[in-house]
Amino acid sequence: MALLGPNGAGKSTTLDLLLGLKNPDSGTVRLFGTSPRDAIVAGRVGAMLQSGGLMDEVTVAELVRLACDLHPKPYRPSEVLSRAGIAQLADRKVHKLSGGQAQRVRFALATAGDSDLIVLDEPTTGMDVTTRQAFWATMREQADQGRTVLFATHYLEEADAIADRVLVLHRGRLLADGTAAEIKAKAGARRVSFDLEGTVDEPALRALPFLTSLAVSGQTVRIQSSDADATVHALYGLGLYPRNLEVAGLGLEQAFVAITTAEEAKSK
Amino acid sequence: MNSLIKLELTRALRNRKFLFFSVIYPSVLFLIIAGNAHSTTKVPGTGLTLPTYMMVSMASFGALTAVLLGNSERIAKEREGGWVRQLRLTTLPGRGYVLAKTASAAVVSLPSIVIVFVVAATVKDVRLDAWQWLALTGAVWAGSLVFAALGVAIGYLATGDAVRPITMIIYFGLSMLGGLWMPTTTFPGWLQDIVQWLPTHAYAALGQAIEQSRAPHVQDLAVLVVSFALFAGGAAWLYRKDTLKA
Repeated sequence: MALLGPNGAGKSTTLDLLLGLKNPDSGTVRLFGTSPRDAIVAGRVGAMLQSGGLMDEVTVAELVRLACDLHPKPYRPSEVLSRAGIAQLADRKVHKLSGGQAQRVRFALATAGDSDLIVLDEPTTGMDVTTRQAFWATMREQADQGRTVLFATHYLEEADAIADRVLVLHRGRLLADGTAAEIKAKAGARRVSFDLEGTVDEPALRALPFLTSLAVSGQTVRIQSSDADATVHALYGLGLYPRNLEVAGLGLEQAFVAITTAEEAKSK
Repeated sequence: MNSLIKLELTRALRNRKFLFFSVIYPSVLFLIIAGNAHSTTKVPGTGLTLPTYMMVSMASFGALTAVLLGNSERIAKEREGGWVRQLRLTTLPGRGYVLAKTASAAVVSLPSIVIVFVVAATVKDVRLDAWQWLALTGAVWAGSLVFAALGVAIGYLATGDAVRPITMIIYFGLSMLGGLWMPTTTFPGWLQDIVQWLPTHAYAALGQAIEQSRAPHVQDLAVLVVSFALFAGGAAWLYRKDTLKA
């Protein structure tokens, strides 16, 4: 499950509240029906903070062993190390790790035991493309074992590629909650483009059903539609003959921009 | 929590610089100060020989170094770096972090005390009764808790950049003015009147009372108890404030 939002959207604050690191100004936070602290003590939650500090002057293996010792339902340290892909770093001193390696150590600390929920705040920060993809596979593995992996990210690609469910957060408010496909649909899921001959009758095009946006440049018309089939059908109904017709899915990125700009327009 | 104490200890024992300053350095300093003094030279007004007097001062100094220096800086830095927050996501109880830090410091401070005693007894022929050695070790060790609490309080008060100078000023101020490096009887009268209220002065006086086989002054005990209450209370208050803020 991805918690998606631009920087400053409130992702870290949301996770801090969820984990009991911050207290809400009003209302209460319940995790697994108990307080966040009780859920952690019961071993139901493993978490990795954004650039969360590590103990320095100790080795990776020692730190992971500590995390295992502190977990009520621990795995063996060697298992945790290899699952996080850092078995070869076991004897390395923590303060000598690169950014990406440190992220993997933090991930190892979050997965030291059999938790039901794993919370990761911007887990792939500081990783290059290859390591990021390898890391996604590791996260996926955790989810395949039947646990929920909740991660905050501002990389749309990341949410699109691995999340089964995406929560879009903007300025502290939840704008959308659904699969990546549903979020794309919500924003006007499909992109339709075509060329017209002669003068383009813009008002007529604007009246097309399910249209969410329209851009005309010369003879080329670009439309976003929440039901592309109906829109194209109506297009022919106008007696027009579109050439070079293309219908394509919207990337999550465009969907995201569409949702957040719509929200900003609403608040103005 | 035991595993955290174990790891903190491993880390402390691995840090050669810290070990040198807290475990070896006090003994070296003892030899430098008491080295030339004759084993029968008396410190005026105490009835104790200079080596005997300085032995307690240096043992207290060593314990002070072990419990104050490492912890304040580590706590301030780990608080800023986010390790303290990460630990709050484990089953470790909130106070566990501070307790582990204090416990590991206490383990390092014990050898620094004992080594000063051994050096004093073998090199400078300091002789005390068996009960005095035991009581002295116990008193100096227990007294170091006062300064361990001070270290924690500084760690929660200072930022990572400021913690070292602040600790150093307090550390040297307390050591020097408290008479751990030279007897306060060498100070001018007005200064003596002030420094007798310092916890380090009371700390060393506690050990010297044992060497003189007499009951410690009520004032010294009171100063230590009040200091401990103040430092520990302050540390607890700052800790809670930090937890709410983070």
